[in-house]
Order: sequence, then structure tokens, then C-alpha cells
Amino acid sequence: MYQYDAIDQQLVEERVAQFRDQTRRYLNKELSDQEFLPLRLQNGLYVQRYAPMLRIAIPYGMLSSTQLRKLADISCRYDRSYGHFSTRQNLQLNWPKIEDVPDILAELAEVQMHAVQTSGNCIRNTTTDQYAGVISDEIVDPRPYCELIRQWSTFHPEFAFLPRKFKIAVNATESADRAATQVHDIGLHIKKNEAGEIGFKVIVGGGLGRTPMVGVTISEFIPRMDLLTYLDAIIRVYNQQGRRDNKYKARIKILVKALGIEEFRSRVEAEWQHLRGKESTVPMSEFERLQSFFSEPNYAVLENNPASLTNKLADSAGFARWFERNTFEHKKAGYRIVTLTLKKAGQAPGDATAEQMHKAADLADQFSFGELRVSHEQNLVLADVRQDQLVELWDAAKEAGFATPTLGLLTDMICCPGGDFCALANAKSIPIAAQIQETFNDLDYLYDLGNIDLNISGCMNACGHHHVGNIGILGVDKKGEEFYQISIGGASGHDASIGKILGPSFAQEEISSVIQKLMNVYVENRYEDERFIDTYRRVGITPFKEAAYAKAN
Amino acid sequence: MPKLIKNGDIIDNPYNWLQDAGQEVTANSIVAAQKWLTEKDTIGNIAGIWLEAGDGVEFLQGVDLNQFDVIGVHFPAFTDGRGFSYARLLRERLNYQGEIRALGNFIPDQLGYLLRVGFNGFQFNENVDLEKALLLYKSFSVAYQGDVSEPRPLFLRR
Repeated sequence: MYQYDAIDQQLVEERVAQFRDQTRRYLNKELSDQEFLPLRLQNGLYVQRYAPMLRIAIPYGMLSSTQLRKLADISCRYDRSYGHFSTRQNLQLNWPKIEDVPDILAELAEVQMHAVQTSGNCIRNTTTDQYAGVISDEIVDPRPYCELIRQWSTFHPEFAFLPRKFKIAVNATESADRAATQVHDIGLHIKKNEAGEIGFKVIVGGGLGRTPMVGVTISEFIPRMDLLTYLDAIIRVYNQQGRRDNKYKARIKILVKALGIEEFRSRVEAEWQHLRGKESTVPMSEFERLQSFFSEPNYAVLENNPASLTNKLADSAGFARWFERNTFEHKKAGYRIVTLTLKKAGQAPGDATAEQMHKAADLADQFSFGELRVSHEQNLVLADVRQDQLVELWDAAKEAGFATPTLGLLTDMICCPGGDFCALANAKSIPIAAQIQETFNDLDYLYDLGNIDLNISGCMNACGHHHVGNIGILGVDKKGEEFYQISIGGASGHDASIGKILGPSFAQEEISSVIQKLMNVYVENRYEDERFIDTYRRVGITPFKEAAYAKAN
Repeated sequence: MPKLIKNGDIIDNPYNWLQDAGQEVTANSIVAAQKWLTEKDTIGNIAGIWLEAGDGVEFLQGVDLNQFDVIGVHFPAFTDGRGFSYARLLRERLNYQGEIRALGNFIPDQLGYLLRVGFNGFQFNENVDLEKALLLYKSFSVAYQGDVSEPRPLFLRR
């Protein structure tokens, strides 16, 4: 993974010093609440319902075991010994003290980490596929490009006070989009043109929140050397012309929609003509420098399907289940990608205790070259596990609560922290997740249902991505009471779509029975091996709606 | 006389920022750009013009900007970042060489970014302690991106 040099290190240290001084002036009342607000947000610090929340960046999801141990350690000394992995490859601490945050940031800097621009109206942490670099059908490894974008966006002097937040995600394979790139302000799809040159298809104006939209293509191919000047052009147009009179209409998607993609594209092109070929054009030497950090680890020469694996697959249904659901094909023979799920019943989705973080770090050292990834689905990934060590890893993962064999299934939910923590939330989301986990606890049934994305957000800000869940649950406030609106038909992959609202919202205790009714409709209507989303697309919303609102006989 | 920060020093402010269209125009005035545009043949000598957020810089294409000693950029709120792009375009696209002065509700903690996009004059609101603001003049000694003072990104210098 990327290693800081003296300059990268100096930058994060200077940032810590700057924020230490800002915090001191705030606590001395030299900075007002209003002035401190964007300064703290650009260092990841929110003020939440009960306490501040600190969002730490895990750039494009890459984490070393040393860094994860540091996060565990920080959560013990400054917080309540756990953290929450978010959908955008960040880690959130829910209970730090404001006056401790500069010290936390200083400790993060010791392990080349930071909380820079994890919040605020600026360019946020760039995210990508958690399987980057280890899958066989990838066009190229997206991580060097993510690091290029990270450096370009970090302390960008022109774009620190945009109309609204700005999120970029990168995908590098035709076969899947695990980073939900089409619902980002900019989605980048790595491509090769006919001449074999690397570049990007650029998608703009996606986003969730109050006005969910799937992005539209602004350019089919931008050569990689021109990436930064093209991004500068898009964001310069947005910075000047995006709406600033209403925060709910301030995202780039609203500007793109208002102008239409043709007009928006021509404005970006006009701006780009001035920037293209100038100093920010990326030279080959920089691509090579960045790529050098992501060279392959020292893989052993191995065969696929060693006897120790195939024997266990035959002997143990539990292991076979876990292997099928929670591991993924690796580009190297004899290796496998393993997801350590953070979706154990009784634990909030995406939460990990300090003890679990230490355990995951140990497993990374023992089985996967000391590195981990954080996924959009709020799980941890060991990317380089030898197939002949899978049984041993499975045993250890079970013990640590990482082996719930439900990756991609109904109970592998995405869930925001909700009203238990978040000041913005209209309703709690964690109890809904818990209710669904308790109700749908029969593994055979879950397997039979197959791949279903269920996403829960506690308010329309949509941190739990409910719009793009096959089933989406949104917490709403009705005269001071918490209700839940259910939508179906959303998707976040290459076939991204926004879900449709089923109808009037439901009380908390009704949710599981409604989900059960939706599942019954699916099971009755599906063709063999047809996924929930495909059945929905074929039969439409009506049968689901009728079942959900049918009066009991 | 009110003070301002210019090129890293606290100096007396020689100019008068005319926020109100009805105010009398003198040779020391910084006049709203839109007003100047409609009255430029009759307005006489002025120190310079100022841009309101929303003006953009397109309409200054073809104008000899170096006739002005100063171009002001107004920040209606410090979170309104349009002025950052305006200053950069004034320097990099319109080749303006004179003082670019931040006006209005920007705050000392923004000085680093303001300097990098081409501002060199800072007329803070009256409640700001300029001596303390100067302490924040440069919080970072290096930067990844190119900017107005160093167009080459770090990757060309690493």
C-alpha cells in the first residue's frame, strides 16, 4: 500500500498543528461556533446527538494491521472501545471529547492516517472496490489512481468551500461495481481505449439524499494523464455555478439536472480547454511512482483447490457455506479473498469492538501480508489468503464473530448509526437491523432467498444508502413518532437504479413482517435462480404493494 | 485609517470600498464591477473594481485589467467559496498583476488557501485582530497541487 514520504508526513503533521491551534482558539472563544464548524468538519469532527463524532479516513479502504491496531488502541483510550465502519470506507468514533481530537489526530499521523476532508463541503475520501488489485478481470489496479486523486484533493486551495460535499468513487472492472460509483458526485470507470491507453469514463451528478439520482456520462474516455485537469474543470464549473441558496439543492446533481448534461458538458469542456496540457497533466513518472506502492506481495506458487480445502468442503456444511458466501475468487492460483463480516446478530452493522479490531489485525498478519480492506458494505476484507489456510482462518474468524456466512444476503445489511447516535436522524436504524437479524435467522432460508441488498437509513440524508438497496428502509418522523418508509427495486451496481416507495410508512414493530411478505411475493413469483431484483423488475411493484398492505383475514 | 494585510504586512488601507451604489466615486474608490461596466466612460479615475459572488469573471474578458491597482472579491459568507475560483481565474486566465483583495466575511483561517489562489490583500471585517490573523498567514509549508504562486504540482517537483 501507499507509504508516506517526508512530504506526506509533514503535511499531515502541519494539519494536526493547525487543528490543535483552531481547537484551542475555539475552546478559548476566539473562534465562534459558526467559524469552527467548517474547520472541524474538514477534520472529520461532527457534533452529534450525545457527543462529538470523529470520522477517520481509510483512503480507498486500505488499512495495514499496524493502522488497525492504532485505531483499536485509540478507541480504547479516547472512546468506548469500539468503532463503526461506514459505507464510504471511513471509521467513525462515536464518543471522543472535542479537546482530545487534536491528540487523536496526532496519534493517527504516527501511522500515516488522518481525518482530512472526511466531512464538510469539500472533496471527500475517494473510495473504490474492496477487491482492487486481487481480482482477475480488473482492467488495471485502481488504487494508484485513487492515491493520485487523494493527493490532488487534499487541501485543494480552490475547492475547500464548495456548495456542498463532493464524493468521488472509482471502479476498474466491467463485471461489478462494488463502490456504488453511479451514485457519487463523480464516478470514474477505468477503461482502455482501442490503442490500449488507460483512461476513465466519467459519470457525473449521481447522489442520494433528498433527491436521489443515478449519474450520467459526461465523457466516455478521458486519458489518464488528463484526469486531474478534467476533474479541476468539472469542479471549477460546479464551485462557481452550483446553487448556494438552498443546501438541499446544492449538490452537483442538481446543477447537472438543471442545465442538462449537454450544456453542463459544454461548460466543462470550455473550462477544460484552458487547463488541458498544463502543469497538472500527470506525467508517466508519477503513475509509475504510485504504481510501485501497489506491486504484488510475495505470493507463493500454489495450485487451486488443495486437498485440505476440498476435503473440508465435502465434510463440513458450515465451512462450505462460509466458503461459498464469504470468500471470493482471487487472481492468483491457490489464493482466495476473504470477507470478515461485521454483521453478527446482536452487533450493529459495521461496528467492531477494539478486541475485534486487534483480532482482525492479527488475522491480517497471520494470513494476508498484514493488510486489510474496508468495504462499502461495512465489512473487512483479507485480500490474499492461501486456500490451504482457509480452514484455519475460518476457525479463528468464527471465534472472533467475523464468520457469519451471510455476505450479500438479506441480513448483510448496510445501516447508518441512526437515531441512537446521529443528531440528524429522524428515527433509529440499529434496532431495525437487529429486528431483521433476529427474524431472519434461518440460514437455509436466507440462502434460498439469495442475494438481496437491504439498506437502512435513519433519515433522508441517506447515509445507509436506502435508495439503492433492493429493499430500502428509511426512518421518518410522523408527529414525533418514528416510522419507516420501505422502498424496493434499488440497486447500486452497474445496473444502478433508485428504489420506488411501496406506500405509507410502517411502525417499527411491523418491519420484519412486511419484509417477510415481500419475500413471500418474491418466492412465489421467481423463476429458478432469479434474483430478487430481477423478479421485481419483471413483475413490477404491484404484487409487492398488495401483499404489504393486504388486510389480515 | 483602517488597516489591512497586504503582501504579509499590516498597512494603512489607501482605498475606499464602495459597497453602496450611491456613494461618491473618487480616485481612491473600489467600485462594484457591474457599476463600473455601465459607467466606465464617465466614471473617471478609480483605484479598482470589486466582484460580487455570482458575478463570475467571464464578463471581464477583453478588459485591460491592469489599468486597476486593485480588484476586490467579496465573500458574502466565509463558506461561499466562489471567490477562490474568481481570484485564480483573474491571475491565471486574465493575467491580472495588481492587488487581489478579499473583502467581506472571510476569516483568518482561510488565509492559506486564499494566498494560494492569488489573493494578496485582505481587508478583514473590523472585529478581526490583524496581528493574530498574521500568525495564520501560512499554516502549510508544502502542497500537493499547483497553485498561483507555484503552478507545478508536487509530482513535478518530487
